[in-house]
Amino acid sequence: MSQTVVLGVIGSDAHVVGITILEQAFSAAGFDVVNLGVQTSQEEFAEAAVAHDAGAVLVSSLYGHARQDCQGFHDVLESAEIDAVTYIGGNLAVGQDDFERTRETFRELGFDRVFDSETDPEEAIAALRRDLQIRPTETERVTVSS
Amino acid sequence: MIRDERLRSDELRRIDREIRADWSTGAAVEFEEAIAFHDSLPASKRFADVLESADVPLLQPRAGVPRLDDQIDLLESLRTDGGADLLPTTIDSYTRDNEYEKAAEGLEAARETGEDTLNGFPAVNHGVSGCRELIESIDAPIEVRHGTPDARLLAAITFAGGFQSFEGGPISYNIPYTKRHGLAETIENWQFVDRLAGAYTERGVRINREPFGPLTGTLVPPSIAIAIMLIEGLLAATQGVRSITLGYGQVGNVVQDVAALNALQKLGEEYLPDEVVVTTVFHEWMGGFPPDEARASGVIGLGGMTAAIARPDKVITKSPQEFQGVPTREANAAGLRTTRQVIDMAIEQEIDIDGIDEERALIERESRCLMDAVFDRGDGDIVRGTIRAFDDGALDVPFAPSDSAKGAVLPARDDDGRVRIFEWADLEMDGEIKEIHGARLSRRADTEGRDQSFRMVADDVDAISEGKLIGRPEPRGDV
Repeated sequence: MSQTVVLGVIGSDAHVVGITILEQAFSAAGFDVVNLGVQTSQEEFAEAAVAHDAGAVLVSSLYGHARQDCQGFHDVLESAEIDAVTYIGGNLAVGQDDFERTRETFRELGFDRVFDSETDPEEAIAALRRDLQIRPTETERVTVSS
Repeated sequence: MIRDERLRSDELRRIDREIRADWSTGAAVEFEEAIAFHDSLPASKRFADVLESADVPLLQPRAGVPRLDDQIDLLESLRTDGGADLLPTTIDSYTRDNEYEKAAEGLEAARETGEDTLNGFPAVNHGVSGCRELIESIDAPIEVRHGTPDARLLAAITFAGGFQSFEGGPISYNIPYTKRHGLAETIENWQFVDRLAGAYTERGVRINREPFGPLTGTLVPPSIAIAIMLIEGLLAATQGVRSITLGYGQVGNVVQDVAALNALQKLGEEYLPDEVVVTTVFHEWMGGFPPDEARASGVIGLGGMTAAIARPDKVITKSPQEFQGVPTREANAAGLRTTRQVIDMAIEQEIDIDGIDEERALIERESRCLMDAVFDRGDGDIVRGTIRAFDDGALDVPFAPSDSAKGAVLPARDDDGRVRIFEWADLEMDGEIKEIHGARLSRRADTEGRDQSFRMVADDVDAISEGKLIGRPEPRGDV
């Protein structure tokens, strides 16, 4: 499966630091990263996923409007015939939410995995390797076990 | 190309008519009647006067919820339980993006479900009468805080609605907040906002304007923030604004933070015209917070300590729930009280710390370098100079999402935790200053036994939330 990862912050959100670090981390881990940046619409995610034959679409949201921004997102992906793995991560609800409830909400919206804002990039990378059935390279295994 | 010139009255009226047609609530704005409303407000609600006459730092939280009644309750509880001196109304992100229809949907959902489905108060949707009900209900000055690149309609409605302070500016609400808007476009938008504030000012309603100092909130080197504050202050002054509050966000190194606030005040007085009253605001840490309320309160306490030493006119407080988005009102009030406790204990002490004067001199030199670069590029016109300086990267902001900035400059902490510049890109700075930063960063690299790299920057971004100031690597053997 394609190792291209499409990355972006959805909706009207302009929090850029997290995806900047994710871009660096996923690139360093050997993925081809297409970073769409902040304030990315559902359609822009879909267009980029098609254009780059993405294996994964990673959505970031830090400002609390994720639920409204992601309504119908998976319909948009489906109608563009995109079968990429989809993740979402960040502060996904306004206020002090119960994360398990939030996770359930976004699973129901169609995301394969849902991460909170405390997740290390390494955790998402490991999950994506499992989901895309990619083995760590020889050198990386050496680093991990040292 | 646009210039740093005062917007003509006929242009002000033309744009005002145009933008008020953007959304139904715009029709209720009427300037003469709005002046009369402001004149009817008691002295305790006049933002500029209250701020400028204070002799200790005033405290102000951030707060905004979608429904009007809830916003009134929230502000009242922050005033009484939190002891806030100045209050905010934080605007939701759809309004910031001029998506009034989406804000209307969010507000409708909030009314139906009882949940806060928006991350702030959609002031355009509430309109002039909604804003006035809020102003009349709360016995304290209230500021509009947002992040809107095109805030013209928001300003027209909230000024008419009785607000007397308005955060933001053409650079500080563009570069960190959007990727879509060009700098020439946001400068033009904010010339209108500032001219409108100037028009109220001429009628005796001094609208306070506050450029947003923390910018991207992530390890912004002090001189970059200060240069942008001076530019936005100058632009606002041209349009007739006479009360300007320049901002700076805590980086967490006490010496550097005190030095930066001192430099901001001094350069503000120096660069801005005499007829402007310049005040300063210190923002408690704007980066990632620890996921633990007790530790987060420690970060807030350090901010209070810094404020007690540097004595800015205002402090924007954080809450111990910052790590997880919008806080409960109780947590928000707790952040205010933590800050108050530390400031009140520390402010009467004489605290002398070595190194502040030296650091301040360095920050001033850097700031002047950046300002010279802007003035040179504009042949004296600060609008043209700003556009050109951002275009060629002579002026830049780390982690900028905007297409209008290169976003190529990268910061890292030195061995003492002060924010230095690790990657200069095209930032215009004299060679001697670059050498000073380079030497400081290489000392850190030596201490840590690793090369300077992006890894160091990323470690610094996470450090405070992980309980430290400097993102040191894990000691060997721990892995």
